[in-house]
Amino acid sequence: MAAKQNASGSAESDQSSLAEQQTSRSFNRSVRVAEKERRKTEAEDPFVPALKYFSDVEAGTPLHGNDEFERNLVLVEKVAYARGLSPEAISIMLEFAMSLRMGTSPCVRILKCLIPATVVPQEAVVRAVVWLGVGKIPISTQILFIKWVLTVFDMIDSKEQLRAVYGFIFSFVTEENLCPFICHLLYLLTRKESVRVFRVRKLLELQSKLGRQPFLLHLLSLYKVFCPELVTLSISSRMRSGFRNHNSPWKSSLIAVQKRNGSLLASSDSLPLTIKDKPNSRKRKYGHLELPVLNSLVNKQAQAESPFSRKLVPLVQLSSFTQLLENIHRIELPAQMGSLLGSSLALQYLDCVQDESALLRLNFWLGYALHEEFLFCGDGRASQNSEEALQFLDKLLSTQHFLQEAFSSSEAFLYKFLSVWDGSLLRPQILSLLSNIPVVPSSQIGRLLFEPLMQLFFTSSLFFKCGLMECLNNMLLKWLTWHSVYALEDDLDISLNSHTSINMTLSGFKDSVMELVHFVGRLASVGLQLEGSHSLLLSFILDFYETVCDTFLKYGLPLVVMPPPGVFYPALFSPDPISVDRLAFIMYRYKVNLTSAKSQEKVTEQAFHISRQTFREFNNYVVIMVNCLWNSKMFHPGMGVQLGEELLLKSNVPQYSTSFDLVHHPAFLSYAVDFHLRCWPGRKDVDLDSIKHSKPWSWYLEYLYSQGYDGLKQFVPAL
Amino acid sequence: MEDSTRRVLQRLIRRIPTPQLKTTLEKWSGMTVAQRGSMDYTQTKWALTEKLLSLCEENDWTTKHITELEMIYVIDNPNQGMWHGFQLLDPEDDAHSVELTQFKEQFKSHLGELVRHVSVKIKKHTDEAVWIRIAWGDSFSRPNHLKPTYVVHHLQTPYVFVTGLTSKQKPLLSQALVLSTRHHTIKDANLSGRKLTAIRDLLMKQYQQVFPTNFPSPLAEKNETVSNPKIEREQAGPGAHRHQMACEAFGDGMLPQLQSAVYKLETKFKDHTNRTMTERDEPFKCIVKFESTNLLESLRYCAASGIASTPVTPLLSSIPLKGRNYFVITDNGPGPSSQMHQSQN
Amino acid sequence: MSSLKPFSKLPGLNTANILLVESEEQFQQSLADALVEETSVTVNVRLAKSLPLPLENEESRPRIDLVVFIINLTSELSFQSADASLKYLDPGYFLGKVCFLVTNARNASVPTERLDTVRKLAASLHCPLLFAEDQTPDGVTNATERLLTILKVAAGLVPLATALYLSNLTQCTVPLDIDQPSFD
Repeated sequence: MAAKQNASGSAESDQSSLAEQQTSRSFNRSVRVAEKERRKTEAEDPFVPALKYFSDVEAGTPLHGNDEFERNLVLVEKVAYARGLSPEAISIMLEFAMSLRMGTSPCVRILKCLIPATVVPQEAVVRAVVWLGVGKIPISTQILFIKWVLTVFDMIDSKEQLRAVYGFIFSFVTEENLCPFICHLLYLLTRKESVRVFRVRKLLELQSKLGRQPFLLHLLSLYKVFCPELVTLSISSRMRSGFRNHNSPWKSSLIAVQKRNGSLLASSDSLPLTIKDKPNSRKRKYGHLELPVLNSLVNKQAQAESPFSRKLVPLVQLSSFTQLLENIHRIELPAQMGSLLGSSLALQYLDCVQDESALLRLNFWLGYALHEEFLFCGDGRASQNSEEALQFLDKLLSTQHFLQEAFSSSEAFLYKFLSVWDGSLLRPQILSLLSNIPVVPSSQIGRLLFEPLMQLFFTSSLFFKCGLMECLNNMLLKWLTWHSVYALEDDLDISLNSHTSINMTLSGFKDSVMELVHFVGRLASVGLQLEGSHSLLLSFILDFYETVCDTFLKYGLPLVVMPPPGVFYPALFSPDPISVDRLAFIMYRYKVNLTSAKSQEKVTEQAFHISRQTFREFNNYVVIMVNCLWNSKMFHPGMGVQLGEELLLKSNVPQYSTSFDLVHHPAFLSYAVDFHLRCWPGRKDVDLDSIKHSKPWSWYLEYLYSQGYDGLKQFVPAL
Repeated sequence: MEDSTRRVLQRLIRRIPTPQLKTTLEKWSGMTVAQRGSMDYTQTKWALTEKLLSLCEENDWTTKHITELEMIYVIDNPNQGMWHGFQLLDPEDDAHSVELTQFKEQFKSHLGELVRHVSVKIKKHTDEAVWIRIAWGDSFSRPNHLKPTYVVHHLQTPYVFVTGLTSKQKPLLSQALVLSTRHHTIKDANLSGRKLTAIRDLLMKQYQQVFPTNFPSPLAEKNETVSNPKIEREQAGPGAHRHQMACEAFGDGMLPQLQSAVYKLETKFKDHTNRTMTERDEPFKCIVKFESTNLLESLRYCAASGIASTPVTPLLSSIPLKGRNYFVITDNGPGPSSQMHQSQN
Repeated sequence: MSSLKPFSKLPGLNTANILLVESEEQFQQSLADALVEETSVTVNVRLAKSLPLPLENEESRPRIDLVVFIINLTSELSFQSADASLKYLDPGYFLGKVCFLVTNARNASVPTERLDTVRKLAASLHCPLLFAEDQTPDGVTNATERLLTILKVAAGLVPLATALYLSNLTQCTVPLDIDQPSFD
């Protein structure tokens, strides 16, 4: 129909008016007008009688030497290759071919020219499937038919009736030659309710007969996703590429027709929210990471044609959030779940409906895509598709940010990828994905995360170390945020991931967080040692501890972990004043957290317990800081840093105990000199010790605060 | 006649990839300048075929015109189909003085005597090769232009390259060739490949060869492209030696692109305790096939990198040495040592 | 059968020497070219196809601070060659001066067992196991950087760190067993 309109001059205006009117209320009237218009154009077309011939021709009409047949078929072929066939024409031709009204010989020729211009009516496909069981169609033609269905699958206007005959289609798997294609079709049609014990049994039986064929394995693994309790078979994740494309007989003409109709589709069916970077990439091509485009071939005429017969609304036809809300109960998901990633509407749908099977399918698709593209690459592919891979991962990341949670398949992929990662390939994307992973149980966390990360951390460059620190900080932030959101819902048991059933007790969660903080502490201490306390790395580490010191007040997690000495001392003795200041701020936040925890401990009965050890550590650190920065008692006995008296004398540093106070600390020395010059402009020789007198000292502190050292400003009065 | 010409043309256009279509048609004398100009190569293949078919009617092209076009295309794109090498043996005294016109006449007449319906077209290519296109028919049917045989022969050399020849036509062609080139016999060179140039170069030894010397070869020096003094190869000596050996066996520089080598092993079961097996008449057969886009290059790399041991086994070095890629290996005498035998045609 | 010894020669001033062993002699060249670009220390690279090293170079060969075995996972031969070479190293090297560098680990044609075998080998020798992307320039640069990180420690050029200390932190652990991605 669309094809015919396209040919006539009025097609464009007709189309766009249709598209507009579809949203307007005078809907039915416009349909009628369009229908009339359509009839008029049809009458002028010689194509119409040709179709009529095929719909009316009687069974048993001889084929040999039948010029009328030949002429009509040529006419149909011409139209098909030029513009594609309308849904009606497809119904008629398919019916004619599959009913074998004129024998088997024209069947192949007709199937090959069934190029849909717009959509394929599902009734036609269902009827043809039924003919498969009735007629004596040669097996090669049957295969060709199934291949055709697979090729045009996304153009079938609705799949409900096809799903209704799932069992019937399933019965063809026993036919050995048809089996691979039938499996592919079933794979596309399967929903949770189609997975039944007897089907699983049948497939397993076939598998024992035919061997571990990839098509059977794929269908079984999908079954396993839907009903893990029914399929006990272990399916290796190393399964190679999925179903092959069977679109070769139609590919070129289909593309040509779609290209020709392309402008038309775009104008009649613009979807502002879907990605349209590449036209008609209808199958995930081997070795390519194009996201399938949300299929826009089901266009609005199909809708207009019979607005009441079809209950489901393909997601692709919705263009606004309001429409989504109106149709939320009858949404048809696309055949290719990957296309959901590109559409924010689809994601909104996923998020609010919490359709388990949709998520399962999306996860399944994603898991295979990630594994195939990044873990089991073909030769030389790693370098080729980096741009594509980048875009794919970015899209995945933005999806995860949109949904605010990670897909379990991307998590599983990450664990595997980390174990073979070189630390540089797609680093920003991998680290971002990593920071999104949900809380890992403390029993697993070491093996899954820490071991590979530790090897990478200590053998990689400073920048990798900083990047990983940032990633782990983000990971912790996300975990804590989840906790603060879900802990409110019920008191202690928190379900961390709304879509999955991972439940975690509070103590389990605390264990995981503690493991993570300790792990980062280890990395930070040794990392600083290896990198010579590099201030850039130190800055990233202090970022992390800024998160850690506030876990109780900001995120309501009753857990306080102090930084290890390997982090504390490098920060304290850092030649960089900002690090010292940030340490002071962190210690201040620790203090606030600890005091509020203690006061809460007194108020509520069942409050948590913070170990004495933590308080002792904190106090110890504070004493050291104060002694070192204020009291000039650097190496006094009983402090963290102790050195033998003789050794200190040997160093020939005069007044070694004052060498790290706020005046002599290498980080602040320049400030002290500056202050000295301002305070006593007349003095020729600089005597920094004079700042230590009580009055200049308080002025000096004021001066430091005025330079923006807020950490010190908050730390000092809090003492 | 008309219909078959159209079919040949249709088939031919389908074979020629669109990018090559233009250059091929331009070399062809069948079209007028205006007609050539009217061709729109951005169209689909289908449309182009339609256009050419209508021109065919307009210009009254015969099969001869079309075969002419086909030869232009095949000569320009010889690396298609499977080419087989043949070797002419026992030249007569005047074999060296055979020249083109004489050869042409002789070949046509000899072949014409052997087969009634045969269409032969001979063309001399710029590189001195004589290209022969033969469309075979038999005593009852006209020559089939859809399945022609192509023969390439360099005059005054004993080598002939053939593609698209059936076993039925083989003796006929052999006889015509032997007679017209003034030789006594012809034998299969046991060399075949998809690239005509490659098997030609291999048989005529038209590639850079390296001969064993006792003196330090210039190769070693060439290899040591003065790299950083901080980088030292510990096993540079053995490496260079391996490379030298590999080049001696397979040649240096670009090697002819051979796609496969086949070894057919035939061996007898020998074990005195197992009489039923030992007394079997039929030998055990085993076929080993090496395949690569450039087999010689691969083999040279294997030897140079130490994957295959050096000096290179005669099994492998025989490919360039004898110019063949099909070998039959049989037991020789009672000993377990196997040796290569020249296989029969 | 002479074995390579870690302390038989004196170290050079501000110099680190690395030995790259790779049976295919492919990746080592590009790595070597990148390694000698390092400016903060003088890096000398020795390339070998396999061990033992020829005796005649004994004199000219500096003290080797780090031995790197490059294993291409797509080739069984590559692993076997590295495995066979190991016995020509003095046990002293296994105190942090050996590491394995694996390429093509993400290739589809690699059987899983091979990676496991390599892991087991590295774990049993307490050596770090690095992965590298040898196909891309970025991958080569990154692999070079990581080798330099280890080399500097192994050559004693990083204060407060020794080869044994670092290798304790980075040594390969028992093969991972996450065969099945959990979809639940």
